Amino acid sequence: MTPDGGIRARGVRRSFGPVHAVADVDLVAAPGRVTALIGPNGSGKTTLLLMLAGLLTPDAGTISVAGADPVTENYVARSRTGWMPDVFGTWDSLTAREVLTTVAAAYRIDAARARARAGELLELVHLSELADQPAHVLSRGQKQRLGLARALVHDPDVLLLDEPASGLDPRSRVDLRVLLRRLAAAGKTVLVSSHVLTELDEMADDAVFISGGRTVATRSVADGDVPREWRLTALDPEALTRWLDETGRAYRTESDGTGVLVELPGEAAAAALLRSAVGAGVDVSSLAPAGGVLEQAYLALEEERR
Amino acid sequence: MSVDVQTSPPAPSAAPAGRGTWSLSWHGLRTVTVLELRQRVRSTRWKTALVVWFLVVGLITLLTTGAFAILSGDGMADEPFGGIVYSIVVGFVLFLGLLVAPTLSSGAINGDRNAGTLATLQVTLLTPAEIVLGKLAAAWIAALAFLVASIPFLAWALAGGGVSWLALLTTVLMLAVVLGVVCAIGLGFSALVGKTSGSAVLTYLTIGGLTAVLPIVFGLLVPVTTSTEEVRVWDVEPGYTWEETTAPECEWQTHEADVWHSERTWWLLAPNPFVVVADAQPLGGDPETLADDGNMLALLQYGVRYARTGDNGEQDWCSYMVGSGTDSPVEPVVVTDQLVWPWGLGFDLLLGAGGVVVAVNRLRVPTTHLPQGTRVA
Ligand SMILES: Nc1ncnc2c1ncn2[C@@H]1O[C@H](COP(=O)(O)OP(=O)(O)OP(=O)(O)O)[C@@H](O)[C@H]1O
Ligand SMILES: [Mg+2]
Repeated sequence: MTPDGGIRARGVRRSFGPVHAVADVDLVAAPGRVTALIGPNGSGKTTLLLMLAGLLTPDAGTISVAGADPVTENYVARSRTGWMPDVFGTWDSLTAREVLTTVAAAYRIDAARARARAGELLELVHLSELADQPAHVLSRGQKQRLGLARALVHDPDVLLLDEPASGLDPRSRVDLRVLLRRLAAAGKTVLVSSHVLTELDEMADDAVFISGGRTVATRSVADGDVPREWRLTALDPEALTRWLDETGRAYRTESDGTGVLVELPGEAAAAALLRSAVGAGVDVSSLAPAGGVLEQAYLALEEERR
Repeated sequence: MSVDVQTSPPAPSAAPAGRGTWSLSWHGLRTVTVLELRQRVRSTRWKTALVVWFLVVGLITLLTTGAFAILSGDGMADEPFGGIVYSIVVGFVLFLGLLVAPTLSSGAINGDRNAGTLATLQVTLLTPAEIVLGKLAAAWIAALAFLVASIPFLAWALAGGGVSWLALLTTVLMLAVVLGVVCAIGLGFSALVGKTSGSAVLTYLTIGGLTAVLPIVFGLLVPVTTSTEEVRVWDVEPGYTWEETTAPECEWQTHEADVWHSERTWWLLAPNPFVVVADAQPLGGDPETLADDGNMLALLQYGVRYARTGDNGEQDWCSYMVGSGTDSPVEPVVVTDQLVWPWGLGFDLLLGAGGVVVAVNRLRVPTTHLPQGTRVA
């Protein structure tokens, strides 16, 4: 990680009158990685992203985005940041193409380059056929994709995406995931907030959990084995539970009774479990993580807070 | 996903490092103005309004011309009636302009904020000054379109005679500036207030204050600005009883009399848009005779200049009693030729500039203070 790339926020705080929207957030997002920002409704994700995007002044704390401080070097920070808001307002009389060329002009990109870039981005988000339709006829998901294209117009080093997957169909979600992975591979810093945790599981490298305006946990998703629950099903459930009882493993049956949940330290342990079960003559039909890492971590955190 | 993300990274073309809040560039201004105009022109509402405007102003011109043509056709008057038609049309265009201009700008910032499009502009490399002045330019251009639609009728009224072409030029110029000021005030309120209806009301109140409230205050201040003083009066000789058959002699006397010092409060009239437009007219001849033609702009100009001149300290109580034969030594009030409009326009321009400064300050990023109940996005 280069010392001044990516996003670093330390002790960031912001309140609106009596509401402490962001009370104390520490966050590091490294270049070349996709970082997920996770938290319940009203936990301050949007407010935090606004501060990172240079739109809102933090009451306290320090922020560095792509090596620039959004408070003191706002202009430089803005030039390196692409921000996609959660509510996508659009100039409804403009066509999709004009929206992108206008934003490009606002980023001081010359007209010829802006036209080429708009065409490219429309293709990227599969809106080429609708390019010359007024933006207000676009569907919610199409608008969302246009919003993503808009955040990419000036090829920013840091991408701040506020719930980019909401309203997207499955195909577009896969596209989004591939796109973000590719951007990360190209050395960009990507920070995504979302409530679709299974989605984030597959695209995020790191996760930052915030709740009540505070950072409550920081996890790494991709690397290393994380202890978590796995779901195990067999053709004959009774044979399975008998074998588990015999080998003395802790397990619990699922409420709907289709399988059992086993807590395992990692993937190697899962493979070992499968081998020994099959060796013991149990007809295992599936063994897979129960829910995503993030979902489990999130629910565990919620549990702690109760 | 056939397109490579990296095909042509359009690195922001040499963005000058750190352009401040007040930095302006032609490119940035044009971007915002074009965006706003595209938005506005494509909404059919605006085009309909322009057509309605054209028809209404045309109708008014037609009716006034018709009425005065009939009057002069009766042989009642042989004078050119252009002055009166012209002044009615100008007054009407200004009146309608004051009604329309606030709607063009008073929703420009809070409307965008509510639609979630303001923040999308603020995160780009546009400076707050570019956003505000670009929006102002767009609103002004839209207002000028209304003015341009009225020019044929103004020119038509000129054909009635009695008004010079130069007057058309200054009138249109002043109308344009006044409409620009109204747009700027509306923009300031739209940055200050969360709801578009609120900013529209405040803009109308401000315009109403300039056009109606200040003149009313001027009127209400008459008792305050009137004082009892010793004045030289050309009066009937003392002891003269009206039973006598010989005409009274007039002579100078000193009396206590009420004197209205309108020269102390004339400036209350100056910011009135109608006064600004009327006073800026070059009047070919004597304002008094022009006012006799029924040119209301000339009348208004004469009125405010009269107010600015004030009392000359001598009064004639005698001549009209005795009959017109006697020459009065009291000089008639010579209306000042000092201009009133530069003061009024100056004040209005300050208001407009205030609107722009307020708006730019409100759009500064990052935002420290948010108006109650608004979100950035
Ligand atoms: N401009 C504002 N004025 C007053 N309160 C605000 C403002 N913006 C946010 N808040 C409050 O701050 C808290 C955090 O809001 P924020 O929008 O950041 O939540 P979020 O994490 O994005 O939620 P969600 O998951 O629903 O999008 C909320 O309680 C909200 O009511
Ligand atoms: Mg949010």
